[in-house]
Amino acid sequence: MKTTNFVLSGLGGQGILFMTKVLAMTALNKGFDILGAETHGMAQRGGSVVSHLKIGPAKSSLIRTKGADFLLSMDESEAYRHLPYLKKGGMLFANARTNAFPDVRVASYLSKMQIVPRAMEAGKAAMEAGSPKSTNLAMIAFYSAFGKGPLNADDLRATVSAISPGAFRELNLTIFDTCYETGRAMVDA
Amino acid sequence: MKEEFLLGNGAIALGLLEAGCQIMTSYPGTPSSEILPEVVRFSKAANLNTAIEWSINEKVAFDNAFAAAISGKRAACCMKMVGLNVAADSFMSAAYLGTIGGLVIISCDDPGPHSSQTEQDSRLMARLGKVPVLDPSSPEEAREMIRFAFDLSEEFQVPVLVRPAIRICHARQNIKYGALESNMSPADFKREPTRWASTPKFRLNQHKALNEKHVQIAEKFNTLAPFNQHNLNEERYPFGVVAGGIPAFVVRDLFEDAGRSDIPVLKLGAPYPFPEGLADEFMDACDRVLVIEETDTVIEYMLRDKRKTLGRLSGHVPREGELVPEKIEILLNKALTDCGQAPLSEGDCGKEAFDLVADLGLPIRKPTLCPGCPHRASFYAIRKAMPKAIFPSDIGCYTLGSNLGVVDTVLDMGAGITMASGFWNAYIQDGVKKPIVATMGDSTFFHSGTTALINAVYNNARFVLVILDNHITAMTGMQPSITQGNLVNGGKGNPIALETIVKGCGVDYLKVVDPYDTTHMIQTVKDAYAHVNDPEGGIAVIISRHPCVIGFKDAIPQKIEVRVTDACDDCGFCHQRFECPALVRDADKKKTVIDPVLCVQCGVCLTICPKDAIERV
Repeated sequence: MKTTNFVLSGLGGQGILFMTKVLAMTALNKGFDILGAETHGMAQRGGSVVSHLKIGPAKSSLIRTKGADFLLSMDESEAYRHLPYLKKGGMLFANARTNAFPDVRVASYLSKMQIVPRAMEAGKAAMEAGSPKSTNLAMIAFYSAFGKGPLNADDLRATVSAISPGAFRELNLTIFDTCYETGRAMVDA
Repeated sequence: MKEEFLLGNGAIALGLLEAGCQIMTSYPGTPSSEILPEVVRFSKAANLNTAIEWSINEKVAFDNAFAAAISGKRAACCMKMVGLNVAADSFMSAAYLGTIGGLVIISCDDPGPHSSQTEQDSRLMARLGKVPVLDPSSPEEAREMIRFAFDLSEEFQVPVLVRPAIRICHARQNIKYGALESNMSPADFKREPTRWASTPKFRLNQHKALNEKHVQIAEKFNTLAPFNQHNLNEERYPFGVVAGGIPAFVVRDLFEDAGRSDIPVLKLGAPYPFPEGLADEFMDACDRVLVIEETDTVIEYMLRDKRKTLGRLSGHVPREGELVPEKIEILLNKALTDCGQAPLSEGDCGKEAFDLVADLGLPIRKPTLCPGCPHRASFYAIRKAMPKAIFPSDIGCYTLGSNLGVVDTVLDMGAGITMASGFWNAYIQDGVKKPIVATMGDSTFFHSGTTALINAVYNNARFVLVILDNHITAMTGMQPSITQGNLVNGGKGNPIALETIVKGCGVDYLKVVDPYDTTHMIQTVKDAYAHVNDPEGGIAVIISRHPCVIGFKDAIPQKIEVRVTDACDDCGFCHQRFECPALVRDADKKKTVIDPVLCVQCGVCLTICPKDAIERV
């Protein structure tokens, strides 16, 4: 199996490490090897948070520039900051306003690199559903709708169901399903 | 069999318990801090008898582990690499004395540096101390190396150093493990003063014996696959790579991706005592060799053949900074090209994208104190009371007081006080009574503040010391403070009050304040400085006491909702001097507003606005 590389980015407190956990647990249940790299310590106090996740037979944890298949970002600025890590033909998913993403200044780079940017207002969707903290799950659901990579939507949804605390399970699954549909609509369009 | 997506520090913890480690001591510091809590977690889950303690500092941790080891138990102590400096005296001496039970020291390096004052390479400490060292390339290998380290330590009766770098500690990997069992080996210290209390004459003999052990260990390291291993299968190569630690596996992945099986690699996960035989085989087969190691030149110097060797000394490898994969790709491309070989890749390794991103003017996200942090309130008051002072400070969350202009120096643990007395001496020699306010956290004060304070009192230095007592070691992940009496195993320790220690250091002037009451604290700092200036006075200590808002749920006893009125004229004072993340500048309204998501309703900002534009709702 070839290694698939994910870069997850955002700000401290947005649940990037939890997002990593959902992807990793899903991969673990599928019997894949996984390696990840996280941000801790001084760098965690209010700064950019980034998490690298490799699914497959890789030996080293950090993803190199132009090495990521997928970039999932909880914040528009943090999506741009980690753009150098996305490989040619890689996929970009951001929690951003659909009609204003991406910034025109990166458009020609993205098209040259054959990167199709995908944006969803995941924060808004989670807020409307009554759980702004679930924005991370909303982004995973959105990504899963595109059916790319070794983890499918059903498996990711099952992980969300398994690790959500009892009181939040139904809510998280509702958010997951809503954002999955948002993504599906883009695929079909 | 269980399987977990374990933090590298968790894999290390697992390795310790699988090896039958009975005694484990540590002082927290990024990137080592999670090892001990993970040992606690595994030990509790398997109901083991492991004795585990957060020690007061790294030297104390080391000596505790050492005594257990020479009593025949398997013992480990963990620290960050600058912590090994604190324990260096013990570390060097212990190499001569040796051990009975396995003694493993784990010193976690921070190339980058991400959360440290230096990028020092613990392998150099191993060389200096004549202690064998292992340098893992992945969490799984770290776990295996820990087990090997205990065996090696007992076989040769030497302490063994394992130095995982940050990308091991804070990597995660799926790791399978089986049942864990308690090691019941009893303590059985055998008196032997010529060994354990040896005088210089015996030390010479011990040094000789240690050197002889090193010859044998180096021989063992020659055939220590897979830790030390090359993949030569032809007579001659134009170019080869020698790599240790994390870069060894990065190189392996890069070669795999690029399909470059034509370049042989010598991996040195056990670089000291140096496996000369294995290295010679590799050097003899390659015309040129590139050495990639973090963060210094340990292997590169020991290879010795500088006409054949490329690395830091030839300018091919950066002399500072973490060797992230794209840096290794770039330097490999250059070295390969310089040696007439095809590079791994033709691309720009992301340069175009980095340039593009740099031009976007993205927000700079510097670390800052949390909303509601009592340190912010203390710093605000200190600066208000004594704006012209020198502010020596120390290591912890409160180092971020530099953003508020109240941290002028950070040298190492304890230097907030030692440098305060040093500044006093430097100025008083010229007849100048320089105002000085030192700051130090409670955990740092216990770690190495007391000797500094005793010294300053005895030698007639004069300054204000503010001990920032938040009841916890916050920066490294909320380890319990000695003032609280909570032991890591869930039991009760004997808490020690800061007041007792401060008075015991010979300080007569001591005040305790809650920094949330900024008005009172400003006055307290001024009063303290009056005592410093009084001919009959002396050093004045203020304990600024308020629990960490992250570590303690009830740290804000009374929630106070605040808002910014139209009196705000956008002067920016609150951003510069208070820098609370919940005070946000609204560019459209040209004034400051409260971010209700970030605000923890501590109410401290009510007193800080020069225009009185912050009020209760």
